[in-house]
Amino acid sequence: MQTDGKPRVLPLRPASQVMRLERLGSFHQSRLSFMRTLMRRMVIENWQITSPVFDLDDQGYGTVVYQVDAKFGTFSYVLFSHYLDPDSRNDRVIANQWDLTMALCEGNVDADQLAFLRTNVPKQEAGRVDSRVLVLSRANRSGRTFEYVVDELAEGRQPCIDVIAEVGYLYRTTAAYGSGKLGMADWEKVRTKHPDFARPFAAEMFTCFMLRHFSMQQADYLAAQRAPEKAVILDEDIKRYIGIGNSTGLGMAPFLINHPMLINQWIEMRETALARVILASESGVDESIFVRLAASVQRVIQHLGEIVTADERQSSSNILVRNDLVLLHQWLQDETPTLVRENYVWANLVEYAERSCHLETQEVINTLLIELYPELVDDLEEHMGVDESIRVMPEMSVAQLLQIIEDKYDWALAIDFSQYESMGAFWYRSQEKMEPRLGQTNIDMGMEKEMPMAVGRRVRECYDQVSAYNLTCPQQNVAHFIMRNPNYSGIVGRVQTMAQRPYGDIRENLVHSDVLPIHLLRCKLSFFGVSKFDPRSRLWVRNTMFQGAPLISDFGKPFADDWQFPIKPILTSG
Amino acid sequence: MKVSKNELMASLKKAFEGLGFHPGDYYDAADMVVWLETHGLDGFDRLQAALAYLNTTGPTHAELIEEDNSYSVLDGNDSSILLCGSEAIDLLSAQIMEGSAAGLQLNNCYNRTFILQRLVKAAQRDLAFIAYWRQDACCIKVSIAAGTDLPEHQTFSMAEEVDPQSLTVFAGTDLAIVEQQFSEQIAIGELIETYSAAEMSICYQDSVEQGIEIDEVLWSTLEGLVERILVESTESSRAGAGD
Repeated sequence: MQTDGKPRVLPLRPASQVMRLERLGSFHQSRLSFMRTLMRRMVIENWQITSPVFDLDDQGYGTVVYQVDAKFGTFSYVLFSHYLDPDSRNDRVIANQWDLTMALCEGNVDADQLAFLRTNVPKQEAGRVDSRVLVLSRANRSGRTFEYVVDELAEGRQPCIDVIAEVGYLYRTTAAYGSGKLGMADWEKVRTKHPDFARPFAAEMFTCFMLRHFSMQQADYLAAQRAPEKAVILDEDIKRYIGIGNSTGLGMAPFLINHPMLINQWIEMRETALARVILASESGVDESIFVRLAASVQRVIQHLGEIVTADERQSSSNILVRNDLVLLHQWLQDETPTLVRENYVWANLVEYAERSCHLETQEVINTLLIELYPELVDDLEEHMGVDESIRVMPEMSVAQLLQIIEDKYDWALAIDFSQYESMGAFWYRSQEKMEPRLGQTNIDMGMEKEMPMAVGRRVRECYDQVSAYNLTCPQQNVAHFIMRNPNYSGIVGRVQTMAQRPYGDIRENLVHSDVLPIHLLRCKLSFFGVSKFDPRSRLWVRNTMFQGAPLISDFGKPFADDWQFPIKPILTSG
Repeated sequence: MKVSKNELMASLKKAFEGLGFHPGDYYDAADMVVWLETHGLDGFDRLQAALAYLNTTGPTHAELIEEDNSYSVLDGNDSSILLCGSEAIDLLSAQIMEGSAAGLQLNNCYNRTFILQRLVKAAQRDLAFIAYWRQDACCIKVSIAAGTDLPEHQTFSMAEEVDPQSLTVFAGTDLAIVEQQFSEQIAIGELIETYSAAEMSICYQDSVEQGIEIDEVLWSTLEGLVERILVESTESSRAGAGD
């Protein structure tokens, strides 16, 4: 798009606005979220999924192998269903038994490999797999819905949609490991050899999607086992409304700090999508688009109203967002003809939201705007991966390094680290499965083994050291500074590399006493594409994956790709 | 047992952290080990040799002894290239960018084969390098052209006495010119063996496809080092994970 022959610069939001922790913790899924892009691919490419092995006993325990014929390759999804004492059911990473354990493998699985997987997959972290395995995962049944649904189906009835709505799933996954963990295939192998999964977390998301499929197939199977004459199968509209539960804790948080290049890429693509949409509206917005926006706002209002959470902060936020959206919806209903006539642009709506709406409402509106223009956005899904190398630029002058820190890390220099609260927390790894935990400074043990999560503090220390060096050795370059101060090479490389990538570093003190790690989790989960955030503390959150998404039986059929913000279905089958 | 590259990287980073390496140092050191092993240059054997030293002393870096516009001398303080390799190559790279060619001598250093990964990384910035050192009774020459991904590793007989623990590196923007500079200053013996970039590439592809074979004892040693950075789990610490 050009004006007066000059290319228009995309109006990207500044990092000082986007990269605040609370805003990142207000993100919702978008068309670029990994579940959304995976689903588009599976439906449009009509992946074929069969189950050559479906060997369950009358209690639903046993082995299932699904064969997945994707566009470029064949894969096997191997699942083991085990009896689990309800007292042993634990969603934490430190658990060592689960109802289900699964592995996504390349190619077909023969008897030898199946035996190998049967020995190792149920052990999860305590086992070893090999490079034929792409993802390892596990899941636990929902105590509130699974037996209820099976009982209802066995009685010849469909489950009550309100009960389903309260939970949203039959199983919760508590981990989906990929990228080479426990001997699995490296991301490099997945990316270069398996184009079907050559996007970040595509294989992990697929594993969760298949878990969703199995959860409903198992419920149907068990109902038929219990009452062969009477049982019915789950209604397809209910099935689409059933997702997979997910519990995410602090284990996910270090990822956002340790992968700044990747985080920059994800957020830059999302911001680029928003900027493209805002720019496009300068050419006019059709009435039909306003109508679609109003419909999607109405959908989000209903979606938020159906979320059940005991978390006060999230609950209040949901209410505030709904109130904001009710006003927006009314305004769209009343003003659309005028808006069309007067060439309304989305920049005005974004500005209005920033002035007048709750933070989370602002991000909901941004997500909905992105949703309106798939033709401007969807190509960005191919650019969510990046080379993550951090490089020291040794030739840079020390004076320039100082200037970069002052320009790009002003947020870090603004933190007063002499205050106790500013260093009131620390991150460490526990001996229990190396689980990341948050400790209180001078209260909890382990401060001396702190993880380097405090980027702001490390930048401050580096700045002070470089400043002192510059006083005694002006005109020197970074190579000489590092020769004299080798312990700063890591943070110097990060500053130099991220100086050109504004969305990589979270602009917050992550070791402040009041830090809310849940925002970190929520940010990453929004890129996964989850919904219905239900924080259980400031350290972990439950949510729902693939709720509202198409079923395998929908693959190859016309696809509206509008399953975001799932709402209760209106059942037509009685 | 077999491990993946990512898994090995993660384990090595934590193990080096357990040895007292700082962020930056432990990333670089892990990169160096993984690169050598995945390209068929016995990274694990060299790591075991390095651990014997690193486990008994705190992390030590190199010191700049003398420097002019095109040549630097560093004292490695009996340290490992895993610790002092990055700063040496960074210094050399900065010198080339300020001039056209440069050289560096790093004395009193160990595990010099690990320097290959640092040369490969620096070559991505359109710089060419030749590194040379004595290995037992032979000499090793490693060359990499500007902008390329893989070096050539050659073993020569020793034509003149070479300090057993020094590393010499020449650098520029054009490998042919660096080669000329090298041959003017270093007398090499007869070529004994060449390990080519193509052979390295095959080895690397195999490690990506099949994983990396690692001795269980070494893996267990790494796990022991990782233990050093872990904090005992208590009831109160479980509260720090959400319980």
